[in-house]
Amino acid sequence: MIGKTPVWVLPIVALVALIWIVPLLGLVIISIRPMAETTLGWWSTQEISFTLDAWTTVWDKFPLAYAAWVSTKIAVISTLIPMVMAPAAAYAFHYLSFPMRRVLLLIIVNAFVLPNQVVVIPLFLLWRDLGMIDNMWSVIIPFAGLSFAWSVFLVKNYLEDFPKDLIEAAQIDACGPIARFFHIVLPNMLTPIAAVAILQFMWTWNGLLLPVVFLRDELPLPALLARVQGVYDNNFDQVAVAAIITTIVPLAIFVIFQRYFTAGAQTKTGSKE
Amino acid sequence: MADVTATSVDGSKGPPIGAMRLPRQLSQSKAAYILLAPLLVFFGVSVIYPVIETIRLSFFEIKGLAPAKAVGLGNYFKLLSDENFLRALRVTFVWSFSATLFSVMIGWALAMACALKPRETMVFRVLIFAAYGVSEAVVGFIWLGIYRPDYGLVNGILGGLGLENMQQAWLGNPDTALTAVIVAYVWTQVGLPLMTCFASIQSIPRTYFEAAYIDGAKPMSMMRHIVMPLSLPGVRVAIFINLLQSLKAFDLIYMLTGGGPVRSTETVGFFMFRESMLNFKLGYGAASTVVLLVAVLIVSTPLIAQRTRAVK
Repeated sequence: MIGKTPVWVLPIVALVALIWIVPLLGLVIISIRPMAETTLGWWSTQEISFTLDAWTTVWDKFPLAYAAWVSTKIAVISTLIPMVMAPAAAYAFHYLSFPMRRVLLLIIVNAFVLPNQVVVIPLFLLWRDLGMIDNMWSVIIPFAGLSFAWSVFLVKNYLEDFPKDLIEAAQIDACGPIARFFHIVLPNMLTPIAAVAILQFMWTWNGLLLPVVFLRDELPLPALLARVQGVYDNNFDQVAVAAIITTIVPLAIFVIFQRYFTAGAQTKTGSKE
Repeated sequence: MADVTATSVDGSKGPPIGAMRLPRQLSQSKAAYILLAPLLVFFGVSVIYPVIETIRLSFFEIKGLAPAKAVGLGNYFKLLSDENFLRALRVTFVWSFSATLFSVMIGWALAMACALKPRETMVFRVLIFAAYGVSEAVVGFIWLGIYRPDYGLVNGILGGLGLENMQQAWLGNPDTALTAVIVAYVWTQVGLPLMTCFASIQSIPRTYFEAAYIDGAKPMSMMRHIVMPLSLPGVRVAIFINLLQSLKAFDLIYMLTGGGPVRSTETVGFFMFRESMLNFKLGYGAASTVVLLVAVLIVSTPLIAQRTRAVK
């Protein structure tokens, strides 16, 4: 913007950001101060000392390492599936003509409004009948399936600006419709694919409802955290460590790649302003 | 060659001449279905099947392991006279409306303030946006600590200000629990409108501000007449995503109150969870889900129409 900006802008924004970060700050402080000091509130200043006790003991108390492994498996596979399938579908919807094209696209795109709870009961019954409860695919399949509602749309929006000449040139050079996708379109769609990957990874890593309902022993981090909170209510320092471990991976990815997130959010609804 | 000419002159079938001389290519529709097939399998299992099955289940009375009994619209009539369900509908409305309103208002205001000094406020934007990336399981743990009746942050601050009489069990009191959960939820959501509105403001051409500056406009009137109207696309995107996400919200309520106390924070999504997964009344839970789905469709129809127009 041009002209003199009011002086109060920076202090006000800084103050809001400071207030915003207090809850996360408290979480970190609880994890590095002895319990005895923080039971009266993590901000109490009568006595201040530093300890990593909670960080070293938490691994024995909770199966955190295993839960992190489960989380990684679920999030990575649930992310890889739409990374491959959404571009393929977006390409088919954008460049190929086939029966039911418009109807299928409308159904997929509008599934975005579907609340997650709708799919929970029928899938629970289905997994139970198939003996798939506590199998990580019981979570991965709906995570991937539900992602197409936005991921196909996101990638397809990028294709609007893709030069059509390239496609036509390849067609004349005897490149078939599937080869055109793999050789021409896919290598040029790395930006939207990255956007899909980051959003999907964050959401599947953080997801709580589906793992809580479908999994029993093989719990990912958020579900484990939800469970231990009810059981051990007097060791806040250790739960705080577990909470930090749960959130550190998606948070780091999220902050580093936030640019893609905004790009994704903008195209997700079809506004291209 | 004669064949080729004949087809093209006829013009009613087959690809153009250019393509005819080439080696045979896979037809477009075959290729399309090959590319789409894996997606359709996943989508069918996790979206189409559950929606159809939910609608089917909603016409049956299922109690635990007893055989299902067809009751037609019975479940729906029962819902309409179920006080708990009507309360859940009200809670869902209050929750979605206020969560979206406050998230978007705060985020939009912050975005406009940040746009005045884009470079200097970058760190602050990332800090506020960070809350959006925190798992709701973790958000739940953090805010449980903040609302603790004995040594929670809120009561601590009130005590420090000498307002001991306002201290209370924020999540344990039916009058304050819903507001408390909404505040925690808004804390996570503000980053999204902040980012989308900020991106909209950043894309306003610089010449608009130059022209306004030459005409003697002050920063505040540039805000009012240029920034506010031209950041509306970002506001619309934020409303769309925030509203739909709040209608789907489940995780945070599960962590903070579990729908209590006395069901004062129970949304329709949570009502379904209780009836189906805890009380094992699957048909009844399914009927409440169908009502939620219809409600979501009514709310989102104008937004979907906008989205659907973009589908070519």
